[in-house]
Amino acid sequence: MIKVICCGLLSLSVAACASRPPSVPPAAADACLSHAPGEAACLYGRALALGLEARTHPTRATALLNSMLDDLAGAESADALYDEAGPARVRALVLLRAPGWPLGPGDAEAGLSAARRAAALRPLYPPNLLALAEALAKNGDTAGAHENYARARAAVLALPAEANRDEWLREAEVGMQGK
Amino acid sequence: MSTLLAATLSTLVFCAPGYPGGADDAKPLLDQFASAAAASSGWPTGSLAVLYDPTEAGGLAKLHGADATLAFVPYPFFVEHAAEFHLKPLVQADMTNIGPQQRWTLVAKSGRITGPESMVGYTLLSVAGYAPNFVRHSALQGWALPPQVKIEATGQVLSALRRAAAGEPVAVLLDQTQAAALPSLPFAGELKAVTQSPPLPVAIIAVVDSRLAVGSARTLQSGLLKMGQKGGGADSLGPLGLHGFVLPQLPAPATVP
Repeated sequence: MIKVICCGLLSLSVAACASRPPSVPPAAADACLSHAPGEAACLYGRALALGLEARTHPTRATALLNSMLDDLAGAESADALYDEAGPARVRALVLLRAPGWPLGPGDAEAGLSAARRAAALRPLYPPNLLALAEALAKNGDTAGAHENYARARAAVLALPAEANRDEWLREAEVGMQGK
Repeated sequence: MSTLLAATLSTLVFCAPGYPGGADDAKPLLDQFASAAAASSGWPTGSLAVLYDPTEAGGLAKLHGADATLAFVPYPFFVEHAAEFHLKPLVQADMTNIGPQQRWTLVAKSGRITGPESMVGYTLLSVAGYAPNFVRHSALQGWALPPQVKIEATGQVLSALRRAAAGEPVAVLLDQTQAAALPSLPFAGELKAVTQSPPLPVAIIAVVDSRLAVGSARTLQSGLLKMGQKGGGADSLGPLGLHGFVLPQLPAPATVP
């Protein structure tokens, strides 16, 4: 019932998932891809733009998110390390936060798999550890989630001051409290 | 008279355990629905407020609030908590692509479950698992589920189906949308529908504990029934997956063994 209703209630903080939020609209990302087909940066940029579009057009969210996941898969194949393993990290967050089957592409197990890939590629990058912690929590591994929130917090504290530091630190500390 | 009765603020608690969507995302759509419902009922602008909670515990807490006048809940929630909150049905939701009723389907690994008794040792997973009375006595009313079977709520139905297909002692109770999508899964051939419920309501709007005056309840019911018609606020229904509302057609209470 209300699953149908809530199909339009998707909340994805896509911009927060990425270190480099898209600076171009989807049309510009398409133009980028026409000049450099298969380029990770173009695919990744279009994926993030699609995610933002899904947020503002909830009735088309499922189709947009599926396209987003296709682009992220392409970006990961082209350059898995782009944006600190961004393609796998963002993929994980989409799979963890999107409505699940059959209403949307959400899939907690696949999200965990993607989060593990991102954390394996860039294990000291806090958002990768935060995504892994969120994935473990979603899959019922409370201890593993707490451990990775703690690792994320330590990784944040080891960083010099930067724009996202406080936000990552807050997310890690909230996660460690199990909220 | 009806306008005077409804002049005080009424609060509709909307709760959908197991289904996606957060309160912040739901608020604008539900506010739009509340405005349209009030207008359709001849209630003053702003006289119907909506609170949304995606969890059973959160929904129950809001229903315990003194300002909770109405509940908009899935039928499993209604079955589980109707007595506690003295829920009196006003209307039944008519859902887009589903209708006012749906069947629930119990699915398990092919060949494993030959009858209710073969489910001893199994865990039953479902978005409706928070409502064991609904599962046992409504959805599976013709299937004498052994008391040893554990019933658990899950919002991750795909994972539950994977576990069942892999041979774990797990059965999954699917709603109509989920059951219809089952053949699309790559491992669908590993699974089999074991039994199916009779048609049951999908969702109910009910008065909580007689907190809404009879006259107001009547005008609201009429207004909700008109909402699916052109000019009756139909525009606010589409984003919620609603086609309209019909009068409640609740099944007779199943016999509890």
